[in-house]
Amino acid sequence: MKTVNMKVNGQPVTAAVEPRMQLADFLREQLRLTGTHVGCEHGVCGACTVEIDGMPARSCITYAAMCEGAEVRTIEGLVDDPIMSHLREAFAAEHALQCGYCTPGMLVTARDIVLRLPDADDARVREELSGNLCRCTGYVGIVRAIRRVLDERKS
Amino acid sequence: MSMNTTSGRGIGARLRRREDERFLRGQGEYVGDIRLDGMLEVAFVRSAVAHARLRGIEKPAGFEDRVFTAADLAGVRPIRAVSGLKGFKVSEQPVLARDKVRYVGELIAMCVAPTRAEAEDIAAQVFVDYEELPAVSDMLEGRKPGAPLLHEAWGDNVFLETFVDGNIAEIARRAPVKITRRLRTARQCMSPIEGRGVVAQWDRRLDQLVVISAAQMPHITRSGLAECLGLDHGKVRVISPDVGGGFGYKGILLPEEVCLGWLAMHLQKPVRWLEDRREQLTANANCREHHYDLTVYADNDGRLLAIDCEATVDAGAYSSYPFSACLEAAQVASILPGPYKFDAYRCRTWSVATNKPPILPYRGVARTGVCFALEVAIDAVARAVGREPWEVRLESLPTREMMPFDNITKKHFDSGDYPECLRRAVAAIDVGAIRERQRRGEPDGRRIGVGFAIFCEQAAHGTSVYYGWGIPMVPGHEQCQARLTPDGVLELRIGAHSHGQGLETTMAQVAHSVLGIEPENVRLIHGDTALSPYSTGTWGSRCAVMSGGAVAAACKEMAKRVAKIGAHLLQTDVSLVRVADGQVIGPSGSVTLKEIAYTWYRAPQNLPSDVDPGGLELTAGYKPVRDTGTFSYACHAAVVAVDVEIGTVEILKYVVVEDGGVLLNPMIVDGQIYGGTAQGIGTALYEEMPFDANGQPLASTLADYLLPGPTEVPDIVIEHMETPSPYSEFGQKGIGEGGAIGPPAAIANAVNDALKDLGVEITEVPITPARLLSAIAAAKVRSAA
Ligand code: FES
Ligand code: FES
Repeated sequence: MKTVNMKVNGQPVTAAVEPRMQLADFLREQLRLTGTHVGCEHGVCGACTVEIDGMPARSCITYAAMCEGAEVRTIEGLVDDPIMSHLREAFAAEHALQCGYCTPGMLVTARDIVLRLPDADDARVREELSGNLCRCTGYVGIVRAIRRVLDERKS
Repeated sequence: MSMNTTSGRGIGARLRRREDERFLRGQGEYVGDIRLDGMLEVAFVRSAVAHARLRGIEKPAGFEDRVFTAADLAGVRPIRAVSGLKGFKVSEQPVLARDKVRYVGELIAMCVAPTRAEAEDIAAQVFVDYEELPAVSDMLEGRKPGAPLLHEAWGDNVFLETFVDGNIAEIARRAPVKITRRLRTARQCMSPIEGRGVVAQWDRRLDQLVVISAAQMPHITRSGLAECLGLDHGKVRVISPDVGGGFGYKGILLPEEVCLGWLAMHLQKPVRWLEDRREQLTANANCREHHYDLTVYADNDGRLLAIDCEATVDAGAYSSYPFSACLEAAQVASILPGPYKFDAYRCRTWSVATNKPPILPYRGVARTGVCFALEVAIDAVARAVGREPWEVRLESLPTREMMPFDNITKKHFDSGDYPECLRRAVAAIDVGAIRERQRRGEPDGRRIGVGFAIFCEQAAHGTSVYYGWGIPMVPGHEQCQARLTPDGVLELRIGAHSHGQGLETTMAQVAHSVLGIEPENVRLIHGDTALSPYSTGTWGSRCAVMSGGAVAAACKEMAKRVAKIGAHLLQTDVSLVRVADGQVIGPSGSVTLKEIAYTWYRAPQNLPSDVDPGGLELTAGYKPVRDTGTFSYACHAAVVAVDVEIGTVEILKYVVVEDGGVLLNPMIVDGQIYGGTAQGIGTALYEEMPFDANGQPLASTLADYLLPGPTEVPDIVIEHMETPSPYSEFGQKGIGEGGAIGPPAAIANAVNDALKDLGVEITEVPITPARLLSAIAAAKVRSAA
């Protein structure tokens, strides 16, 4: 066991973790923050995407023990974020989710796109999203929702 | 009764989904999110080889009481999914392997520990002594005499052979055009982003096993569990919480469910198993693998005269519950004619047992394969007669005037205008512009092609279609339980399950259309056998028609009951009131559902003396006017650019013209079409689970089993035709699978169109760069010879 200190959704957390425990499992099983989903556990599908120190990261291939001093934000911790509210509104309006399983990871990535690339065109949005798989929506609604937020923030 | 269709919130409205709010906040609750007090985790030891006799299983020292094998599971019955079709051979699937293993990934032992990691550690130490046997990894080899036998008692590897003999000889002899092709679709993994998962617990108070599982058909799972565990139905409750995508993958009784059910009873502790992606890919690539030897006869205009086919389906090692090992091939025989009319048909099918995971019906079931086979062959006919592929198709489509139309296999197309659907796709994709562009050539040297696929989707089919197959599940009717709560909220309980289809929204829209109640005041309760009427569940694009019909029936009955009470409160005759806008409206005044509910529950002194004592809680059922199913249909059209140097295919434009009848919620319908089409693009271009000659699956991560991502799926264009079905409650048709049916055919046809000058013809999907380049190389060799 190793002791690790990090901030999760603004709250300081100190916990003893097995060295092999991934951040996703730590968040889900120990902190019971189940909004972060796991789809592949090997870094391809993006369902587990969270924000670590302001950057989207795959929590399924990040050891919890490596997060010493890190600031982690999950979908639960982004509920009051204004861009996230905007994205939620757009995702609902554009039917950008069906089963909802990929959705938290999609939203974390989408928020990063909105923040970092205000001028992104659709092709760029798709490229930036390519680390997140959705099996339900065919991505059409997701791309439109992000487009809507990008456009509305400009006007 | 008046229908509330003008409020913009009932049937036909693009109403936002009720379920979105919880998902968008990370508040959904999936199986993996559930932790029960004292819960233990399970990891399975799975077969490392495709075919072997089990000589022995050694539990690691010190962990004897944490590892369970078939020998421990006293009294547990094997899974048996029989078919009543003549000649069907029964497979017995022990939930943990007994004497033999028959595919890589088959369950051998169950290991339990406080955490999943520890359970996996134990599993890694279990020693299995295999006496390896030669494996059947190719269905055609498996059919041959002398092939290794999976189920020795059978004498061969054929679950079922079927034969439809339509006496084609005479027509075939006269036909001026004869096209013969060998076509193949690859084995796939359905790949919902959430895997399977099971939590099981014994409820001491209710003396009942509770199994929480990501299940599309909770009531069928319950029946299967009761049968395998030897329990009364009353002692089994199945809960299916939020489910992260199904597509057929979760429409099955799992051996894991039986194992965990037994374990929860044995340990008297809650247990949980969560499938990981490696298990899903290596042990559960379980669909789509078809082989066709197809001959199409046509006249000089390309009009279809006859079809002759031998189709083989790789059914895997066992017959899955409830759909069985032969549903797929039986469906091939009945639906191969597609949407077309012609005069003679012969089809022989084999469902072959192989050392691979048991086959399950994946979105579209056999339609994706038959559509690919037939549509690719029809394009070959068009090339042979020198006409546009769409013109050739028009020769053989039934016209609007012929509807309803019974095709050669007695499929009853209920309504629509198939030629118009094709013509609209031709216009939307603009064939003329593409031909012009092809003449000019591409600046980057790629080759452009256009392809079409037209097909129909039989949905919500009932007893008359299914009973003949004699499988453990025959659909017929659907029920809804409706209850008006004391504060005027309408609770609807249905036995189907919603896992992305948006039923929590569309069923509220149906209720709104009947009662005028605000959709926010409707709660859909589903996914729990203790709280819902029995149902075969969510499969076969049946919920819009069947659950929608049941909800409408329950709401109509509710309307009668509230009208009676409302009329009394308004001191008028019941014949003078109507139910609308969530109220009972009389000639002078109205009373709300809330007031009526309050009166029933809290102020019965104000009720009419002859009130129906059944009250505001009722069960009503639905059966369509005719149960042969609704027939939605669609034409898919694709434009692709093929790079003949590196073998890649880019989709430049994709159009779907779909007739789904009356659309309950067009936004949700579009979502189903987009998502299905994306999956079909995966079938067409990317997804394949190869197996080597020893039956070893060769892809084990999503880096080698490729799912279409945001850059592979284009911005799909959808056009709707809305011909009401004459047989469903509102004219709605099932459309959930159609998107996944058309793409392999449309895209292969577009690639073949792009490469026709090179003499290249693709007859196998997925069209990977390797496959495409070898087809191009082979064509070069042919033209040189
Ligand atoms: S679960 Fe982390 S990328 Fe798939
Ligand atoms: S909404 Fe189901 S995986 Fe994206």
